[in-house]
Amino acid sequence: MAHKCTQCGREFQDGSNVILKGCPSCGGKKFLYIQPQDMHKDVLEEKSIKQIAEETKEQFLEIKDDKKRPETARTPKRVEMYDRIESITVINPGSYELNLEKLAESDELVIRMGDDDRYLVDIHSMSNSSKSKKKKYKKR
Amino acid sequence: MNFFIRTKKRLSRYLNAFFKKRQSRIGIYGPPNAGKTTLSNRIVRDWTGDALGPVSEIPHETRRARRKEGITISNQNGNRVTIDIVDTPGVTTKIDYQEFIEYGMEKDEAVKRAREATEGVAEAMHWLREDIDGVIYMLDSTLDPFTQVNIMLVGIIESRNLPVIIVANKIDLPDASASAIRKAFPQHPVIPVSGLEGNNMEELYEKMLEHFG
Ligand SMILES: Nc1nc2c(ncn2[C@@H]2O[C@H](COP(=O)(O)OP(=O)(O)O)[C@@H](O)[C@H]2O)c(=O)[nH]1
Ligand SMILES: [Mg+2]
Repeated sequence: MAHKCTQCGREFQDGSNVILKGCPSCGGKKFLYIQPQDMHKDVLEEKSIKQIAEETKEQFLEIKDDKKRPETARTPKRVEMYDRIESITVINPGSYELNLEKLAESDELVIRMGDDDRYLVDIHSMSNSSKSKKKKYKKR
Repeated sequence: MNFFIRTKKRLSRYLNAFFKKRQSRIGIYGPPNAGKTTLSNRIVRDWTGDALGPVSEIPHETRRARRKEGITISNQNGNRVTIDIVDTPGVTTKIDYQEFIEYGMEKDEAVKRAREATEGVAEAMHWLREDIDGVIYMLDSTLDPFTQVNIMLVGIIESRNLPVIIVANKIDLPDASASAIRKAFPQHPVIPVSGLEGNNMEELYEKMLEHFG
């Protein structure tokens, strides 16, 4: 389904991944799901986006704020400065939020969630040299 | 990781690929309950006669990735490819033990399961860095494909330049729509199948030969 930025009204076609980093026009992070027949309704019928949302009862897609820019994060230097704590957030014991992009880029592999909800990380775990293996506890 | 170790690892990866020291590892990724384990089991059974792991309607039944090595897929034209199949836990951005309590589990067991599931997802994400050579991305075609997790994960896979086949699963169900998935991901091949009933598996195997060969 298409999406409409709730801040500036720009519309995005199906499968548009660009909005994951926020609206390219205004940086907005909240998008309304929108049916093809409802596109440009704000302009054509002089309606506010809020009105359209109320009429169509479609859901919103909110992009989580992520300060890191993926382009620069992929360079080695940026990865070293990585804030590891944010790759998994413990909301309360048994309830976790995962930052997929960070997990996919991090050099660390989380190998065990401790009973106290600290997690044990294994650095360089996938390389075969045992010399590079370090384990440490990450305190939450 | 220091830059030289990283470079060395990259280099050895290329050398390994060059000398065929290991098969391509194909990861089966996707949200929970898309049918990843069902499909992995079918692929393994079709080509080796074994099975890989238990299927369940409880999300996160697969909490650790399972691997089956050396599966050779071939066709009548004599094309063949040998791969390792890695069945991964369902990827989500949020895991809560409450979800398991709804399936009748005790709190202790539910919390334990949530922890294991979290570790499993972290592990599966980490593997995308350099341990996986190609991806089958599974979607339940009765559900809206345009979710944040799907877009994010396909984006991560694209940024790794990994070959990807999108599988629109559960086409045996009446409200399945493979075309919705095609629309959501027009940049990738989409193969509609029923992993459960085995419908249209031939087309998937042909695509795998073409893409992962
Ligand atoms: N109707 C239908 N159900 C399926 C299909 N593939 C899997 N399922 C069901 O979906 C549920 C989740 O399957 P599973 O393979 O464990 O999913 P996973 O979490 O992605 O590994 C189970 O109840 C399966 O029987 C399919 O092609 N058609
Ligand atoms: Mg599974």
